[in-house]
Formats: sequence, structure tokens, C-alpha cells
Amino acid sequence: MTQMSIAEAIREGIREEMRRDPAVFCIGEDIGIPGGFGGAFTVTLGLSDEFGHERILDTPISELGLAGVAVGAAMAGLRPIADVQYSDFLFLAMDQLVNNAAKMTYMSGGVAKVPMVMRAPVGATARGSQHAQSLEAFFCHVPGLKVVAPATAYDAKGLLKSAVRDDNPVIMFEHKLLYGSKGPRTERGALSPVGEVPDEDYVVPIGKGIIRRPGKDVTIVGKLLTMYRALAAAEELAKEGIEAEVIDPRTLVPLDKELLLESVKKTGRLVIVEEDNLTGGWAGDLAAIIADEAFFWLDAPVKRVSAPDVPPPFAPVMEQFYVPSVERVVAAARALLGK
Amino acid sequence: MTSEVLVPPLGQTVDTLTLVSWYKNEGDAVTEGEPLFAVETDKATLDVEAPASGVLREVRAAPGDQVKVLTAIATIEAAVRLEPPHAVVTASDVVTASDAKAGSLPGDRRDDPSGRPPLPSIFNLQSSARIFISPRARRLAESKGVPLDLVTPTGPEGAIIERDVQAYLEEMLNQPAGRGGPTCPPPSAPARPLPPEAPAQPGPKTASPIAQRLAEEAGIDWRTLTGSGPRGQVTREDVQAAAAGPAYAASAASDASAASDASAASDASAASDAHHLQSSIFNLPSAPQVIPLSGMRGLIAERMAASHRETAAVTLTTEVDATALVALRRQLATDGVAVSYNDLFLAILARTLAEHPRLNASLDGDTIVLKPQIDLGLAIDTERGLIVPVVRGVDRKGLARLAAVTVDLAERARAGRCTPEELTGSTFTLTNLGMHGIDAFTPIINLPECAILGVGRISTQPAWVVDHVEPRERVWLSLTFDHRLVDGGPAARFLQRVAQLAEKPHLLIT
Amino acid sequence: MADSQLQLSLYRSMLTIRRFEERCNNLFMQGKIPSTLHLYIGQEAVAAGVCAHLTAADYATSTHRPHGHSIAKGVSLRSIMAELYAKRTGCCKGKGGSMHVGDMTVGMIPAIAIVGGNIPLTTGLALACKRLGQGRVAVGFMGDGATNEGAFHEGLNMAAIWDLPAVFVVENNLYAASTPVGVTFKIQDIAQRAASYGMASDICDGMDVLAVYEAAGRAIARARAGGGPTLLECKTYRHCGHSRSDPRTYRPKEEETDWATRDAILRMAAHLKEAGLVTGESLAQIEQEVMAAVDDAVAFAESSPSPAPEEALEDVFWGEGPVPFAAAASGGVR
Repeated sequence: MTQMSIAEAIREGIREEMRRDPAVFCIGEDIGIPGGFGGAFTVTLGLSDEFGHERILDTPISELGLAGVAVGAAMAGLRPIADVQYSDFLFLAMDQLVNNAAKMTYMSGGVAKVPMVMRAPVGATARGSQHAQSLEAFFCHVPGLKVVAPATAYDAKGLLKSAVRDDNPVIMFEHKLLYGSKGPRTERGALSPVGEVPDEDYVVPIGKGIIRRPGKDVTIVGKLLTMYRALAAAEELAKEGIEAEVIDPRTLVPLDKELLLESVKKTGRLVIVEEDNLTGGWAGDLAAIIADEAFFWLDAPVKRVSAPDVPPPFAPVMEQFYVPSVERVVAAARALLGK
Repeated sequence: MTSEVLVPPLGQTVDTLTLVSWYKNEGDAVTEGEPLFAVETDKATLDVEAPASGVLREVRAAPGDQVKVLTAIATIEAAVRLEPPHAVVTASDVVTASDAKAGSLPGDRRDDPSGRPPLPSIFNLQSSARIFISPRARRLAESKGVPLDLVTPTGPEGAIIERDVQAYLEEMLNQPAGRGGPTCPPPSAPARPLPPEAPAQPGPKTASPIAQRLAEEAGIDWRTLTGSGPRGQVTREDVQAAAAGPAYAASAASDASAASDASAASDASAASDAHHLQSSIFNLPSAPQVIPLSGMRGLIAERMAASHRETAAVTLTTEVDATALVALRRQLATDGVAVSYNDLFLAILARTLAEHPRLNASLDGDTIVLKPQIDLGLAIDTERGLIVPVVRGVDRKGLARLAAVTVDLAERARAGRCTPEELTGSTFTLTNLGMHGIDAFTPIINLPECAILGVGRISTQPAWVVDHVEPRERVWLSLTFDHRLVDGGPAARFLQRVAQLAEKPHLLIT
Repeated sequence: MADSQLQLSLYRSMLTIRRFEERCNNLFMQGKIPSTLHLYIGQEAVAAGVCAHLTAADYATSTHRPHGHSIAKGVSLRSIMAELYAKRTGCCKGKGGSMHVGDMTVGMIPAIAIVGGNIPLTTGLALACKRLGQGRVAVGFMGDGATNEGAFHEGLNMAAIWDLPAVFVVENNLYAASTPVGVTFKIQDIAQRAASYGMASDICDGMDVLAVYEAAGRAIARARAGGGPTLLECKTYRHCGHSRSDPRTYRPKEEETDWATRDAILRMAAHLKEAGLVTGESLAQIEQEVMAAVDDAVAFAESSPSPAPEEALEDVFWGEGPVPFAAAASGGVR
């Protein structure tokens, strides 16, 4: 076991996969440049020393291009781990990801496969609207893409490995404030959770969520940063004798629906908290699933604690208003219990 | 509808009281059960509660006035009748939202969340009299046969949520055995459905004809449903619930079959899942629920404990052929005289007590006092708890008169409108648990009396008659007596005579 | 100079494409083909001339107009026709349609219908070819319109900086849908753009299959040898409309008739006769054989079963079962 930050854990995951399978390679901007950053958040730092610059492949500023190159390379038998520096840049690559990567297997009648990974950091960090979005929902909506969102070091490494080994395109969303990046890339206000990571080979299966904290009075679902908000809220609620069950889905597509349904059937109450805007967010999809499949177990309406329908603002006070706070989660849970 | 605000007869020795103060002014809204005015007796100043909800009108007495007992000093104009609650089991009484909110004990107040800003309206309920029930609560209520009009809502904005249905179920199970079971309801009200808890119903499964027809139309096999009617009969409501939500019926049916399995299940998640419906063991509230041992509950607790502590209680039981009694009641009904079994047993008791005065006695300090009057207490189950109004001079009343009196007393007992005089002074008590399928039980003596008779269920049983077996109506009688005052022999002979009169009621007119 | 066998096979290849596309047109008019079609009639020389250099191990990507490239690359007529008929035996099991035909087993990537979308794919395929060795190449076909997409810029630039074994074949048929190149280009030859990437380029007469064959041969040889990518511009013309619903009123009639005289198949037939490689009879023989193959493909398609509707739920993820779906309503049981 080793204590690691999420950035370190992902790096180790990439390193191990690249050692294990020569077909694996990384492609992205600023990822292997000698003396460079190791990617926007230091994840690939040092990897080019071991694997060289063909397998840690730096690209020009061409998100569309590098996504398409990843698709093509994957179809020809390589296993690329592509990345963009901010998930906001994924929009430049939407055509390649949504029209090509997601649909190749289907359009070919199940013959072609696209075993690629696309990594992207999300979250508001006082950089302004275009470097701050949480846009997992856009990709959850595309049939043919798998979407994962690890919030701990253990899950980050385990899911990265699962994503690489999956024969389908996987988008892996990471949160800027959870990386634990050090040195000049330290994020102000980061949570930087450090966790125990096994030294031996292990994977976290895609499609399995986890209960972070068991409870019986209300279920709170959070992802990435908001999973920690949910845990903090659960601590607050416990002081009032309210036992909240916190679920971390870990994979968004395919969703661990059974885990969620079982929990809601037990508690009868659900709060979903995410950093994305309210309208059309991922939380709404979960709420619809519950309204459909667990309606008669509900003792209260389903509540979504999301960001307001505005672009992420810059000023720190506004950003704190934008990102769901622990207080908002606590208030929502309390309201469901009529307190 | 207007109610009179009467000066209560507080105690037997005064017939005027001094009005000390009003807590409400004319035109104010009052809620039934809240303190309305204060009066002074020769001994103390007491609060008097409002007898009804509505608006206070026609105030006729001022502080300082001498007022005669049982005269009206004001009226209460009831609020406009509100709409009945949404989708609730049929009931004779329309339950209004304010009734339901009043709580199960008089003087109950809901706690206000202190110091916090008002919560956003999360249930988004309009302020109307419609009672909202969460899907989870409704599901539990339907599977257990809980009438939602008797459930006290404590959810946000007055909604009924799961814990409210659970509270009702807990109360039902907490009724003290023997004393205080519900008696026969007044003829006007339909029987309340029982929560179907037991896995197997006695006897073959039945369904009412309309239930069978509806089930056939809906393509449902009614034999798979748990019946909420008498003796587990599948009712129309059962079928409608099943047709509307297969999950209800399925879980109710699987409740029945899985009840024995549920206790054996070792699955951790199911075991830890206190809310899960797949168990015939009743569901605990999700959080400890606090009911204060005060008011009526406290009084009952105190008196039951005292009786249990002080008396040397022995219970004798006997099974009686009630065929003639049943026939008599039917015959009387045919001829326009509606009497209940309670009425019949009151008459039987009165006759027997006259013949066995040692059972019509009480212990006063260290003396036994044999009473000249035969005033019989009749145990009645109400929402607020057990109440025992007293029928005076039962030996001097004919059956028809008895029936009228008991109907009136029972109604007023349920409404909480018996006077204090009506609730004391009985020399012997009758308690009946037959309507709940109880046979024999061990009733607790109503001190300072020396005995109490418990009546069980009348059912058709095979019995040996002369030289063959034939179906007869049978009933169990349970007599608890205080051995300090009465010995086994005399008690047994008393019961024997009661049994004889029950078997041969024609002897009552000899 | 290509040997005689090769020249005959080039001719046969072009003719097969031509007759196949003509038959598709007829069938579409008869209502037998559910979708729209983007026919390759007139540009056959490019597909035939380029793909003659490719093996099943090499990759080719195509566009919304993929029938010609697919046939030249070796995708069977039967599987393409069955796909157009939306049958389960189609090359995409009925899931792709005209614009996505392909066959991974012969290195024909299912076509990409987003203009320019296949260009970065070609770069990626070439990247893998270089990594995996064995001298394989990736060829990307595109029209003149695609070269104005950002994807063209990004894909070619990366192919150049990494010296990838790629050939980008631009079929400049003078129109992007209805827009003439004069409106959308300041330059005369698209091949000029290669210079801005530091990439080799070439121009050839797309109506002359032998010219295409030669130019393509140089570019592909360069790629196989590790010499990097080439932008090959073929000047060509499509006789038909952009799609089936195109009346071609944006093109002058004289222009069409002029190009018709330069029809690649007629020219090749004439050349073969002149070179003594065919006779009238052998040409007719080839014609017969080609028609028989096309007929066979149609018969196969018509007699093939349709997919079951629920097959729509299969093949979303490689190696996994159908996605769960309740046709009546979303979600599962209460």
C-alpha cells in the first residue's frame, strides 16, 4: 500500500498499463515535453522519461485532431489514452467523440472497436467560465460512450486501468481540486484527498458504485467534488440524529442503478448533488429513474442540489455561491425530513 | 353547526362556580381541546377545555360571575365543513384536516423548529384540506389495512409519511390486553378493518362477491390477496388496491407466504432494513417516537398498575353455548328492537349480581362494602384511549332502554364528551374483545370493584349435543375476581349463573 | 507502366463501380432502397487507381460517398447492396446504411459521413501503422469541400510532424454539394496547401486511371518507405448529382457534356483497345461478368432477411450484450 494523491494514482495507473501492454500510449498537449508540466495537472509528469516521446506523444493545439487520431489509432489496434487540458475543450472534439468514437462499433455492425480513453479535468477553480465547466452530462447522453468519474486515489487508478482495458471508448472525468497536484501546479482551495493505493495490480470495475457512508434516513448521491460535500453534509446531519447514506456512483455510464435503487428503497428520500447546472443535468436523469422505479418507496420528493443555470463565474465569492455548498446539501436533506 | 359551551359539573358538591377568566375572546377561533376558560370550585381553580372547534360566539358570562353548572355560557360556531381527505378508506365520520392535526392526546402541541428561517415549501402542497400521503406511507397503509383517516400526519406541511402509519400500527399493538379492547361499535359505524398481520387466516379464504367480480375483471386471482375484511375476507378495496398497484398485492401476498421465511432470512441488507415490507413482524418507526405518559395515557397506566399490584386477581374461564342468545338478538332485531351483545350481557350481569351481591362489592380500607345499586361500567376503546362510562341502575332498565343508553354513552365516550360523573361509580365492569377474534383473556379489575367480566368471540363451533355433534354458537367468558374479597367457589358459582343465563336467556324474564 | 493484367483489372474495377452505382440509381428510383444515395459515377478512376496499390492490411477511410472506394478496396458487392437494402446480411448488419459502408477485414473503415471527419482518423490509423511496422499505410479519401474543415488542417499537420505513412487523396470534383470551388478557395490547386504543412504533394488527372495509378503509386511508396505523408489532388468530376435529390441546376450543361467526353471508363476502354489488350468481345465479356456480379448482389440483397427490430439494441458496446430497454415505458418494474 502507498499513500497517493489522485494525480499520482492516475500516473501510476498509466505507467503500469503502459508497461503491461505496448499498445498503450498517451496523446495530448504538453504531456511529455522534457522539462514540461506533465499535462495541465502533472498527471503525466516523468512518464516520457521511461516511455519516450512516441508513446507519450505531444500534439499541437488540435483537440479535434488528437481525438480523431486516438479513434483511428484505436481502430487499428493501439490503445490510446488521450487527454484534454480542460474538459471545456472537449467541445472542440465532439464530432470525433460523439459521431466517430461512440458510433463506430454500432455502425459497423459490431465489427470495429475503439478501445480508447479520453481524460478531462472538470470543476470551477477561479479561471472563468470557459475553464470551469462540469459537463459530464453531455457525454452521459451519448450511446456508445462509457463515462467514469473517480473521486479517490484508489478509484482513480483502478478506473483508469479498467478504462484502458475496456474495448470501448471511455471518457474519464477528473476534478481539478481533487488531484493533489504539487509544486507550481498546486490548486488554491484544493481538497487533495490522499488515499491508500495497493501496490499490486487491481482494477475498479466500470459500472459499480460504492456506499461511502451507510445510513437510513436519506440517500445523498454526489460525484467528484460534490461527493465530499455530501460526506461533510452527512457529518453535519449526524449531529442532529439524521443518518445519511452517501453514495459515490464512480461510473456515470453505465450507472450502478441497483445500488441507487436499493438505497432509496431503504431510506425513502434522495438528494442528488452535482456541480453542473440544474437544467438538463445528470441529477435530473437520476431523479427520473427513481421516480420511475422507486416511486412507491418515496417518503418525500427527490431533490437536486445543483449549480444555478448560469455559466461558472470568476469571482471567488460568486464561485462559492455557484458550486453546491455543504450547507445547501444539509438544508435539502433536512427539508426532506421536515426539520 | 353550533355547540354549547357548558359549565362543567366539577365535583358532586357544588352547583355554582365562579368564572375566573376567558382565554379567548368572542370571535376568536378555538380548537377543540384547548383551554377556553377557567372556573373556581370550592377547592381549586380549574381550566375548562373547548368542547368543539370553531369560532367563539354569544359569550354570556364575564369574569367574576357565578355560573350554574351545566348551563351554557357561550357557543362555538363550527367552521365550514372541509372536504374529506383524499382517497381515504370509507369511514362514518368525515375527518377534517384540523381534526387530524390535533394529535392523539388532548393538549398536544407540535414543536416549532426554533430560530430557523421558514423552510422552503418542499412538498409544494396547497393550503387546502386535502391530506397528502407519501407513496411510501400509502403503500404501507394499504398492505397493513390501516385506515388513513385515523393516522395522525407529522410530515412536512401536514402530510402523512411512513412513520405516521407506523405510529398507528404501534398504537394498535400496544392496547392493554383484556381491559380496553374495543367493544361492539355503535350500529351506525361500519367495522374498522384489522391490520392483516398474521400469515394465515383462520378458515378457508373468502372474498366478497363484488371483490370476486372486480378481481375477475381485473384479471387478478383474489386468492393471492391478503384480505382486510372480517376474518380475512378479501374486500373490494383489497382488489382495487391490487389492481392499481400490483406491487402492493404482491408484497402483501408475499408478506403472508414469506412471513415464516422472513424470520429465517439471514441476508444482512434485509435484516438491517427496518422499513422493508417483507416481514410479518411489524415495522418499527425509523426514529424513536416519543409519546408522553401523561393525560389519559398516564391515568390509564397508573390505574392498571395499581389494580395489578393491589388485587389478588384470579381469572376463571368457561365456554358457553350462545346459540339461544344469538337467536334472541336476531328475533329482537326482527321485531324492531336493536340490541347489542353488550346490552344482553349487561342485563345478564345485572340479574346475576342481584343474586350474588358479594360480587357487587368493593374494598374500602379494611372493610368490604356491598353496594345496593347495580351500576355497570362498559369498557370502550377510543382514539384517545380506554374509557369506561357507567350505565346506572342496569337492573331497572329494560333491554331497549339499555341499548339506547349504551349507544349514547359510547358515542359521547368516543367524542370525549362524557361528564366526569358518567365516568365513575361503577360497581362491576363488562369488557368485550369478541370483535377482535379474542376468545378468553385475563381482564384487569377496575378498582375499586372486585371483579370484571370479559366476553370473547361468538363463533360457530362443533359441539356435542345429547348424542351427536352439531354446529352451535359458542362464546368464552372470562371472569377476573379479587380473591381478597371473594373466594373461588362463590366466584365460580357467579360465573356459572352468568353462563346459564347466557345459554338460556329466556330465564331473564322469570 | 502498369502491366496488362493490371490494366485490365483497373478497367474491371472502374466498370464494376460504374455499373453498381447505376444499378443503385435504378433501384432507388424503384423505391427498393430506403435511404438517399451519394453516387460515385464519374470518379471511378480515383478509387480504382489508388486502391490498386493497397492490400487488405492497409487502411482506407472514406466519406458520405463511399461505394466506389469500398468496392475498389475489396468490400463485396453483396454486402454493400444488402446494406443498402437494410438487410441483416449487409456489411453493417443494417445499422450503417449507404454512408457508413465498410469492412474491417479488408481494411475499409466504415465510412464517415461528417465532412472531414475521416481525416484525423486517417492520421490515427497511419500512426498505428507506423508503430506496428510492416510497412502498412493509411489512405484517406476526401472531397474538395473537406479540405476547408478544421479537421483537414489538424489531421494533415499532425501527419506531417510525425512523418506518418498516410496519403490524403483529394478528389476535387469542382463542387462541394452545390458550391463551386471558385467561391470557396482563393488558390487554384488544393495541393498547394500541403506546402504549409511541410508535406509532399502531387496533382493528377482524375479522369485517367493510369495517371492516378502512377501518382498514387509514388505517394504510397513514399509512405511505405517511411518518407512521410502525401497530399494527392485528383482533378475529377462527378457526372451525377451530389445526392439523389439533386437536379444539378447549379452546373452549366456545357460543363457536364465536356467532362462526359473525358469519361475515365470510355477513355480506358479506348486505350485498352488501342493497346491491343482487349477486343470488342472481351470487353463485352467483361461487361457481362460485371453485370452478372451486380445482378448477383441484387438477388442476394433481395432474398436476405431483414433484421429484427430489437437488433437495434445490439452492438453499442464491443463485446457486450444488447442495451436494456423496455419498449412500453422507461425503466423497470416498480
